[in-house]
Amino acid sequence: MGRNRRPDNSAGGDRDPGLARERTQLAWSRTAISFAAVGVAILRTDRAAGAIVIAISAAVWGLGRLPAHERAEAKRGHGLTQRRTVQLIATATTLVSLAALTLALLEHA
Amino acid sequence: MTRTPTDQDHPTGVEPGASAHHEDGSEPDARFTFANERTFLAWHRTALALVVAGLAIIQLLPPFPDIPWGRHLLAVPLISLGAVVSVASYLEWARDQRALRRGEPLPPSRLPRILAAAITGLSIIAAILALLAPPTGR
Repeated sequence: MGRNRRPDNSAGGDRDPGLARERTQLAWSRTAISFAAVGVAILRTDRAAGAIVIAISAAVWGLGRLPAHERAEAKRGHGLTQRRTVQLIATATTLVSLAALTLALLEHA
Repeated sequence: MTRTPTDQDHPTGVEPGASAHHEDGSEPDARFTFANERTFLAWHRTALALVVAGLAIIQLLPPFPDIPWGRHLLAVPLISLGAVVSVASYLEWARDQRALRRGEPLPPSRLPRILAAAITGLSIIAAILALLAPPTGR
């Protein structure tokens, strides 16, 4: 499980043949688009809340790029930047869900 | 992948005490970290899709003629499930990342079971609603 510390892939070999970083960035982009979809759906009932969620989607897009150059530090440290980012997104999604729940309950109430 | 990922990105390995978090073990291969992050993001898209589905039911579906709470019966559990998936996927991300750091096998995920059970239940409710709803005559 990645415990072997062979210093292989030297001599300028392909260090990331699976393009893990690119795939992760694309996953962030898809998540940002999902946030935008939720934002548009909320915009129909509550303009302010919808605008906030769309702003979050822009922030998620940006955060997806950010780790790319913070990786170098994350590797040396303990992946704290990644933990913070993931916590941020998890909180955002939970809050957006709760906001949507409130909107759904208020409808026709 | 025929080649085992290595720790070649982290020649120094652990830096003890570098973090206030209870992070033990050593930094795992960056590809494992990325994969864990993508899994987390995929669950989050699932959560957001559930929220959008719930909102769409409220906003786009015409009300069931004789069952005024019918739309809420579907939408509220869908949106709540979104919140649950969001929190649970964060907890699993943290748990898996810890296992990766320690080089332990990844614990099994509970999310598929939660999601499958919830969607099965919701499908049954939706089917009952569809059967109960009288034809609109249009």
